[in-house]
Amino acid sequence: MAEKRKSLIKIKPKKFKDGEVVKVSFMVMHPMDTGMGKDKKTKKIIPAKYINSVKFNYNGKDITTMTVWESLSVNPVFTTYMKINGKGKLTVTYTDNTGEVHEKSKKIKPKG
Amino acid sequence: MQRRDFFKKLGAAAAVTAVIPAMSFAADAKPVSPNKLDAKSAMDAITGGKTAKMSKAIKLKVPEIAENGAVVPVTVEVDSPMTDSDYVKSIHILAGKNSNARCIDVNLTPENGKAMLATRIKLGGTQEVIALVALSNGDYIMASQSVKVTIGGCG
Repeated sequence: MAEKRKSLIKIKPKKFKDGEVVKVSFMVMHPMDTGMGKDKKTKKIIPAKYINSVKFNYNGKDITTMTVWESLSVNPVFTTYMKINGKGKLTVTYTDNTGEVHEKSKKIKPKG
Repeated sequence: MQRRDFFKKLGAAAAVTAVIPAMSFAADAKPVSPNKLDAKSAMDAITGGKTAKMSKAIKLKVPEIAENGAVVPVTVEVDSPMTDSDYVKSIHILAGKNSNARCIDVNLTPENGKAMLATRIKLGGTQEVIALVALSNGDYIMASQSVKVTIGGCG
């Protein structure tokens, strides 16, 4: 359960002003097993393991919530837009169908 | 006599080769997806029986030919002012022939500023990708595009 997963939050453009609408993408290394694939060596079915839900939280407010099924590709990327509204923290949380929870946050500092 | 023997052997060999793949197919029976759902019932589950109109306000970007079905980039963009009174409530991506048609549901708020979603999905074969969008006034609009998949991506 306590596997460490790499994740990343990217904001485009890198330098932004207050009130600007920016592109936010969240990437995570996750197997996203459907529960239908087989291990080629052991010939056993790999149990399902996929991300259930993703939450984008900015300054304590849920901006975007996603419900996800197994049809998303391995190492998924979630990209949406977001309006910058002052200094703060963006936290992205995902939960897994096996109960795994992962959190990643990034400080937001608008310039000018 | 030799010729007759030869044909007998040939027949036996053909029978064996015909049986082997049939057996291996039976052993390889595909496990059923835990949440099996086809596109129509998935759409009904989202809209609650309402019919969704085809709309040009949605820009669905999917490659027409996907070489690898395991990673197909999808971008959905909706023309919307995203104000408190008029915004896009949610964006859904459905893949018609996947064993579970629902790929992702995204609930947006006016704080997003722009209604856009980009992800990568798995496609089991050549099929239609549908983008279903719920607006804040209760209407549903949709757009679809067929994608040719050369190698299926679902296990």
